[in-house]
Amino acid sequence: MEQSKMASPKSAPKDAQVMAQILKDMGIAEYEPRVINQMLEFTYRYVTTILEDAKIYSSHAKKSSVDADDVRLAIQCRTDQSFTSPPPRDFLLDIARQKNQTPLPLIKPYSGPRLPPDRYCLTAPNYRLKSLQKKTSSSAGRITVPRLSVGAVSSRPSTPTLGTPSAQTVSVSTKVGTPVSLAGQRFTVQIPSSQATVKSATPTTPTVQNVLINPSLIGSKNILITTNMVSSQNTSSESNPLKRKHEDDDDYDNL
Amino acid sequence: MRMREPAEGLLGVGGIAVEDQPDVSAVLSAYNQQGDPALYEEYYSGLKHFIECSLDCHRAELSQLFYPLFVHMYLELVYNQHESEAKSFFEKFHGDQECYYQDDLRVLSSLTKKEHMKGNETMLDFRTSKFVLRISRDSYQLLKRHLQEKQNNQIWNIVQEHLYIDIFDGMPRSKQQIDAMVGSLAGEAKREANKAKVFFGLLKEPEIEVPLDDEDEEGENEEGKPKKKKPKKDSVGSKSKKQDPNAPPQNRIPLPELKDSDKLDKAMNIKEATKRVRLGPDCLPSICFYTFLNAYQGLTAVDITDDSSMIVGGFADSTVRVWSVTPKKLRSVKTAADLSLIDKESDDVLERIMDEKTASELKILYGHSGPVYGTSFSPDRNYLLSSSEDGTVRLWSLQTFTCLVGYKGHNYPVWDTQFSPYGYYFVSGGHDRVARLWATDHYQPLRMFAGHLADVTCSRFHPNSNYIATGSADRTVRLWDVLNGNCVRIFTGHKGPIHSLAFSPNGRFLATGATDGRVLLWDIGHGLMVGELKGHTDTIYALRFSRDGEILASGSMDNTVKLWDAVKAFEDLETDDFTTATGHINLPENSQDLLLVGAAGLCKLIRRKELFYGALDFLIKNKNKKKEREWLSPIKRNGNGLCWNITFGKLTAPQ
Repeated sequence: MEQSKMASPKSAPKDAQVMAQILKDMGIAEYEPRVINQMLEFTYRYVTTILEDAKIYSSHAKKSSVDADDVRLAIQCRTDQSFTSPPPRDFLLDIARQKNQTPLPLIKPYSGPRLPPDRYCLTAPNYRLKSLQKKTSSSAGRITVPRLSVGAVSSRPSTPTLGTPSAQTVSVSTKVGTPVSLAGQRFTVQIPSSQATVKSATPTTPTVQNVLINPSLIGSKNILITTNMVSSQNTSSESNPLKRKHEDDDDYDNL
Repeated sequence: MRMREPAEGLLGVGGIAVEDQPDVSAVLSAYNQQGDPALYEEYYSGLKHFIECSLDCHRAELSQLFYPLFVHMYLELVYNQHESEAKSFFEKFHGDQECYYQDDLRVLSSLTKKEHMKGNETMLDFRTSKFVLRISRDSYQLLKRHLQEKQNNQIWNIVQEHLYIDIFDGMPRSKQQIDAMVGSLAGEAKREANKAKVFFGLLKEPEIEVPLDDEDEEGENEEGKPKKKKPKKDSVGSKSKKQDPNAPPQNRIPLPELKDSDKLDKAMNIKEATKRVRLGPDCLPSICFYTFLNAYQGLTAVDITDDSSMIVGGFADSTVRVWSVTPKKLRSVKTAADLSLIDKESDDVLERIMDEKTASELKILYGHSGPVYGTSFSPDRNYLLSSSEDGTVRLWSLQTFTCLVGYKGHNYPVWDTQFSPYGYYFVSGGHDRVARLWATDHYQPLRMFAGHLADVTCSRFHPNSNYIATGSADRTVRLWDVLNGNCVRIFTGHKGPIHSLAFSPNGRFLATGATDGRVLLWDIGHGLMVGELKGHTDTIYALRFSRDGEILASGSMDNTVKLWDAVKAFEDLETDDFTTATGHINLPENSQDLLLVGAAGLCKLIRRKELFYGALDFLIKNKNKKKEREWLSPIKRNGNGLCWNITFGKLTAPQ
């Protein structure tokens, strides 16, 4: 910090001289020159705020002029708002005594990174994916896959239980090869095209559910992906069984 | 203003804690009208006169009364709204007080009205806690006799109300002895406060097998000679099979188990410890400077890992920056899908999980919303903690370089934080006058250490992780037990806020540095001051012992780093029964002897073909030896040497 130069009486305004004197009285010998400006700014703002509040209180009390009581009230109200001070000592001793009575918790062995429960961590993604609204095809048994490519790579496809034609829901659960999911990683969920070839003739009602990736389930441990196949207008599409929309089957992300 | 109840656990029953004292008749409220305000000056002058006329041997002890009486009388006048009397009282007597109380008196001079007292927590605490004085029995009898005469009853009332006089039997203390111990906001520490048993020994190290390498054999093995490949056991741990009586039981507090990577680290440390050169007055460490350029005076916290591979800087612009100081760059772990592709069984899986594309020497971590005042690496180098003015402590992962958790508890600036030497626990201390113990997997603190009268500026773990030392702006250092949160030691003696603490590696001693420019050495087991290192002229912000405890390095705002001979400072301690009973100390005036390096001068450092010039307080040795030498690495801020972090590391390549 540079030594402050004593402002020559001619150039510095009176307020600045007063502020410099206050700093000197409080024992502060070295300070940057901008400190005086900042202190003056603060002083001006604080005093005008208090006086304005005092004016309001005095007019509320139907007094003709602002007096000391109004100012005192204004100061008191502002102190509680802006200048909070730490809790008093007896309060701290009290809660400390309570907290220190509980014994230290035992440490579970071999539990990976020791972090608090997920909702107290900052590891969850702070976004949620929007599901695409697409008309589904009907009886082809083709799996409609809304494109949800978000990030770079996807989870490794395993064998989602689509094989059974009667399955209505697809849940790609932890069979997805559990890569170590790490904080903030982006990912794509992809149902691989290999399964789309299950074009069994069995007419199944198109599986129509929403694909929702539940962000809260994505912690730092495993990726649990429940995917339900989507189509929002399933009811309407069912009425047009012959209408088939060619989905973009071919442009899945290649692994 | 409503009267505050005295804080529990700290005060006696409104009287002097000696059995043969008569009980005080009325329970007075904190600052009731004690008499005619105009007569306060007379009372004080009367006492002053009495003390000055007393015998020499008693005078020093009785002079301790001046400061607390002055403050309490002044505050009482202010509280009862006798402004003009308060002012004249202050003018008349504030010059008589000791020089080390000048800062407090300055603050006091700005408290002229009753309303001013409300917001000042420190003054309120001073009002409600009792100022502790240690006086010998003879001096006390003298005082009591004088004050109980009728006209001095007011002062006697004040003394009983606001002071705690700890009486001991023995010789009255000299001024020098008293000056060494006083200075804190609450007087000295009561003797009972330092009587609890403290387990200052180290925990037993686990047995680790250290395989011998071929390269260690340095030409001893000639051809034909069978090489002995017996794995070397950890000689340090197996020395004493029986339990050290001063060491805490292994399971006193739960500690995390050692992972394989931790065991590898320990084996590495043991190997290096055997190669380490013993430091001493004739074998000083060599120096390696790391300078933060273009920091614009914004570097506010610094830490370095134990193996000196990474340095972290906390800045006033709320960023945390991590540098790698070895040729190996900082990498973050690959993304989830890439990780699924690697072969998990390969030997170098720990290398393969790293993403080469993210390699860089510097990583910047954003997240805080205020200047970062404390940083700490975890011992396993996986995590980083940072504490900031925004009231939070953040845990960062050094594998992904993202923020994992924000621990909210202090709602005021957190001045310091540190990981435990075993990881998992960490301590933080802040403006709210408490220090908190956290575990990384709990979002609330496990322990709260409340008792300081002003901000907790510095907090450190003991090497055995069972105790935490906190230094505060109330000029005391307290030692807290992690197990139950009790304060087991109170060390007074500094005359300014404490800014640095260092435990000696053997766990027995504590070194503290403050704004008064002195480094004080404390014996934890006995609870006494055992040394004072004078020489610095400004605040000491950094203190560190060398790895084997031979040298203490102190870095200060007077642009110097001084190395002190710790071995000599701690030998021949006077700890006979007398000193432990009364808490007296006789400090040897040996600061000059202990100062290892005292010649100021320019030195040249050559490191990697760059030349650093630094004005230092010591000479540098630059010998070329194959064996590894310890080096001292001060970290300068802005090339002006204004901010220091000192650690003792190892030079891994000959220079």
